[in-house]
Amino acid sequence: MEAAGALAHDHDHDDAGHHHGPPPANRSSRVDPQMLGMLLFIISEVMVFGAFFTAYFFIRVVQGAEWPAAGTELPVAIAGVNTAILLSSSLTLHWALVSIKNEDRNGFRAGILLTTLLGATFLFVQINEYVHVGFAPQDHAQGTIFYGLTGLHGAHVAIGLLLLLSVTIRAFRGHYSAKEHAGVEIPGIYWHFVDVMWIVVYATIYIL
Amino acid sequence: MTMKLRAPGWYRAVLYVGLGVLFSLALITVARLGYGLDPVVDGRSWLLVSLLAVPLFFLGGLGAFDTWFHWAAGRPTRPDDHSQHGATSWRSYFAINTDHKVIGIQYVVTSFSFMFIGGAVAMLMRAELAQPGSQLVDGQTFNGLFSVHAALLIFLFIIPVFAGLANYVLPLMIGAPDMAFPRLNALSYWMLPVAGVMMLASFLVGPFASGWTAYAPLSTTQPVGQMFFTIGVQFAGASSIATALNFLVTIITMRAPGMSFFRMPLLVWANFSTSLLVVIATPFIAASQFFVLLDYALGFNFFQAGANGDVLMYQHVFWFYSHPAVYIMMLPGFGIVSEIIAVKSRKPIFGYRMMAFSLLAIVVLGFTVWAHHMFTSGMQDWIRIPMMVTTAIIAVPTGIKIFSWLATLWRGVLHVDTPMLFALGFLTMFTLGGISGVALAMLPFVIHVSDSYFIVAHLHYVLFGGSLFTVYAGVYYWFPKMTGRMYDETLGRLHFWVTFVAFNITFAPMHIVGVQGMPRRVSDYAEQFANWNLIISLASFVLGLSTLVFVYNMVSSWVGGPRAPANPWRALTLEWQVSSPPPIFNFDAVPTVVGGPYEYGVPGAVHGVFKDGGAEVAPPKPTTPSVAQ
Amino acid sequence: MAQESRGGGRRPLMQMAAIAVVASALGVALGLLIEWFPSQASTQASTIDTLYNVLIITSVPIFVLVTAVIGFCVWRFRVRPGEEDEDGPPIHGNTRLEIVWTAVPAIMLVALCTYAFLALQDIEEAQADEQRIQVIAQQYAWSFEYPNPMGGDPIRSEELYLVEDEPVLFDITALDVIHSFWVPAFRMKRDAVPGLTTQLRVTPNRLGTYPVVCAELCGLGHAFMRQNANVLTRQDFDAWMAEQVKAAGGGGAPAGEEEGGEAAAPESAG
Ligand code: HEA
Ligand code: HEA
Ligand code: CUA
Ligand SMILES: [Cu+2]
Repeated sequence: MEAAGALAHDHDHDDAGHHHGPPPANRSSRVDPQMLGMLLFIISEVMVFGAFFTAYFFIRVVQGAEWPAAGTELPVAIAGVNTAILLSSSLTLHWALVSIKNEDRNGFRAGILLTTLLGATFLFVQINEYVHVGFAPQDHAQGTIFYGLTGLHGAHVAIGLLLLLSVTIRAFRGHYSAKEHAGVEIPGIYWHFVDVMWIVVYATIYIL
Repeated sequence: MTMKLRAPGWYRAVLYVGLGVLFSLALITVARLGYGLDPVVDGRSWLLVSLLAVPLFFLGGLGAFDTWFHWAAGRPTRPDDHSQHGATSWRSYFAINTDHKVIGIQYVVTSFSFMFIGGAVAMLMRAELAQPGSQLVDGQTFNGLFSVHAALLIFLFIIPVFAGLANYVLPLMIGAPDMAFPRLNALSYWMLPVAGVMMLASFLVGPFASGWTAYAPLSTTQPVGQMFFTIGVQFAGASSIATALNFLVTIITMRAPGMSFFRMPLLVWANFSTSLLVVIATPFIAASQFFVLLDYALGFNFFQAGANGDVLMYQHVFWFYSHPAVYIMMLPGFGIVSEIIAVKSRKPIFGYRMMAFSLLAIVVLGFTVWAHHMFTSGMQDWIRIPMMVTTAIIAVPTGIKIFSWLATLWRGVLHVDTPMLFALGFLTMFTLGGISGVALAMLPFVIHVSDSYFIVAHLHYVLFGGSLFTVYAGVYYWFPKMTGRMYDETLGRLHFWVTFVAFNITFAPMHIVGVQGMPRRVSDYAEQFANWNLIISLASFVLGLSTLVFVYNMVSSWVGGPRAPANPWRALTLEWQVSSPPPIFNFDAVPTVVGGPYEYGVPGAVHGVFKDGGAEVAPPKPTTPSVAQ
Repeated sequence: MAQESRGGGRRPLMQMAAIAVVASALGVALGLLIEWFPSQASTQASTIDTLYNVLIITSVPIFVLVTAVIGFCVWRFRVRPGEEDEDGPPIHGNTRLEIVWTAVPAIMLVALCTYAFLALQDIEEAQADEQRIQVIAQQYAWSFEYPNPMGGDPIRSEELYLVEDEPVLFDITALDVIHSFWVPAFRMKRDAVPGLTTQLRVTPNRLGTYPVVCAELCGLGHAFMRQNANVLTRQDFDAWMAEQVKAAGGGGAPAGEEEGGEAAAPESAG
């Protein structure tokens, strides 16, 4: 992360034994490569959601299907609470990041642990909602879109949780420091993206 | 033995594949028990879950994820010992390797293998079509043949072979020791054979047969072979997104000192543009195939008209990827041709900046034309008009490129050897294909010829005469760099001329039979088209045989060709300033770029210099090699 | 040394231009000579064929120009013995030229699009007294439904029967997967999509029998989903229709529907 040579290899290669390492690559941009990679990946992810929203658009607007489907109701309030849970996890994540930047290890650990737990709660509530919502994706296209979009988002929460879990493990093993926290920051960006995406999903599926 | 099973590699991969199959079985059984479904073990669901899970287990066994699991488990950071970097013997090419040069060769060889299979399938098709009526195969099998043909040639040949060539030369061209994420690069590569083997494996259960476009609801009502396409595309797509991210980050953050964006070779620009397209568009095909998978396997209603689903939505989502995909299959070729034409005409590229900007213009415009594949689909009529206009306008930036290449040739000193022949062949054939594309944009005409052989003619002129010609050009051009050997020039020319002539006799008459009313994707046709089809089939066999000349040349030259000098073409770009093949870490020290990449004919011009103990030295003065004439 | 003979100055440009003009003329002539189209059997067909001829006249010269420049360069500027180490003149660009080759194609394309748009309006224009025919596609056969002149169930047919010089509006639907209704002799096609009714207008203007083709891959029988369209005179069509009506209803329609039938009949029978 620090030396220019770390571009291609995330460590200092002085200790590479008898191996002849590569010459240090030139850094032609101030952006951190890993951060740039994550941002580009998020563009891709936004497009995946874009495709699912296209399906939503076609079914709800172009086909003009009734929303939600006749005889069904979406638990707007519960999902609203769930939204609050997910959003607060973004705050705790930010707290964790600020803490580690100030070498406050306890704050960092508490923050990252809390974030993970909040994320897990969100997922649990979401699954619970599936059980009680009263329709299935097989029933009609509206159900398909509902499960499709929330399920796609849920899958992203799950991936984000795996990343957070790894960061948490490392946090408790004493990794990261004020100088070296890219391993928190980069998964963190992903988590913030998952949160923002939820707001869009919530707005289009439940509110509009 | 247990050591072998625990270390990353093929033994562990085989073990993990077994585990993956069992895992899928367990997952299905638990899920079906939970839902109280009968029977508890359902072969079809087991197969579907295996298709998704087993490749991941395989990649895990091979060792694609080891470092990441290591990180995720919270173990201490491990210094990289470069043990997976560089080739020590032929075995290195069959294992996870992080060297972009090894990966590049893996890519090129693998994708060409799929090309031969896809091409051989086309030979079967042409044999069936030589005469009206059914000779070799029945209708469904024939549908399977062209579906597999197109899927292999698009997703496992043209798209990855460009990624492979760029993998090899792009880091060298920008003065980088490797790609930005070497392990991701290795993973990208290994997802390809997975996707390809999966698509071919569909022959075991009856090949997928709804075309490479897999329109719903046909694809959601096909036999299970369809899923080998649906899921295979996911792996090919993931591979292509990962590579694109890698290229973008490499180009943005790892250029040599002095290499500003407007000193980058056009191949780098081309791959930069292509990668933008891939990152933005590919998620759409992934999503479209997820929709199909969900409708097919779980009874979702994305495309079920009876349950408010929207049938045409599939086409919108699919083409929002697949139109940009045609530029994904062309822009890297534009890059290759720019390199070759400048070097072989001994002149700077004419209008360098416009060449770069027109690439970006194509990227942007490419996202605004998708519905030109849906002109007769029954979508809202008004959408057709803006799509016709944007489609036609794309010819403008493309034309800028064509005319700039022509102006580069003008008054040059042309070395018309094999790479140049293919580059010039590309210019003519792509222009023809592009012009028939513009004709297709003209609404009243396309209403008649859509889904006819005219389309088949157009797509082969742009994909074969366009993309594949540039691939051939690039392979010949960089063959000395990649293998350290020279190819046989006489055989190269023979390959070009037979291909060029047979190609035209094969695909040009398709324009005529198309306009006369022969639909595409048929195993049988009316008597009136019989003569042309016989000619087409015969020519296509010659075209197939011409490929054998290429294979023979490549294999025999790689094994026993004369040693190649570092810079046989007297080129300025950086990849030619190192030995052939390049040293294991590309450069002993990163070069400094002091001028444009194509300053041929400018007295004393240099592109890059190597600092040697503080003193700047220009690259060794290239001497005229014996092969270039 | 060889700079002069390598073609500075105007001479090669003039040579080039002469070659391009002659070759273009030949190319266009060849393009127009080829028998591209099947027989013309609708008013739409002639509009589309004219458009195609215009496309040939405009695009063949572009192709010929590109090819001619390449051929000429290979002939004139190919490396000659003794020149192996030489480079061409370092020309980096020419703004005026670049503007020209951006603007000229752009103008051409806008003109072509305008023309195509007008042609489109022409072929899709609604006509007075259109006969409405239902086209129903399913794996792997077409069927055609006509309003029953006597009222009652529509008349169903495996073959398409049309009247010469009388405009038709097809309402196209599909029962299973997507198909595409194409009559090459009419030059018109439109997909049949499950869940949608798409429309297509044609005015047949030539007697005869023409193939109806399914143009969208629809499964294993796609290649064989072909039937016929017959363009008849008014009398022949009426005779055919009368026969169908007789076959369908045994002559007498139910009394209750007689009245509604009377009202609907003139419209469809024109
Ligand atoms: C490499 C792949 C590639 C490329 C580059 C292109 C390029 C273009 N394509 Fe093509 N196309 C395909 C691959 C490609 N296509 C495939 C695979 C299909 C079939 C898919 C399927 O259904 O299976 C298809 C189908 C297809 C259709 C749909 C037809 C149908 O199914 O009904 C249309 C319609 O507009 C079209 C148009 C164009 C146009 C306008 C361009 C333009 O980008 C071309 C621009 C280039 C030029 C025009 C030449 C150079 C320019 C000049 C010399 C300047 C002057 C020129 C003029 C003024 C005309 N293509
Ligand atoms: C890059 C893309 C690419 C390439 C290179 C090709 C190459 C060829 N294609 Fe393909 N083709 C497509 C992309 C491509 N095609 C696509 C996208 C479609 C649309 C599919 C759809 O409708 O869904 C299509 C459809 C298509 C059709 C229409 C099918 C139909 O609609 O019914 C036909 C018919 O002739 C055809 C023929 C050929 C032939 C003869 C070659 C030849 O050039 C192949 C030559 C190469 C070889 C033969 C391989 C090497 C040689 C050997 C292994 C030795 C053996 C040789 C002999 C036995 C002689 N192709
Ligand atoms: Cu019906 Cu093809
Ligand atoms: Cu397109």
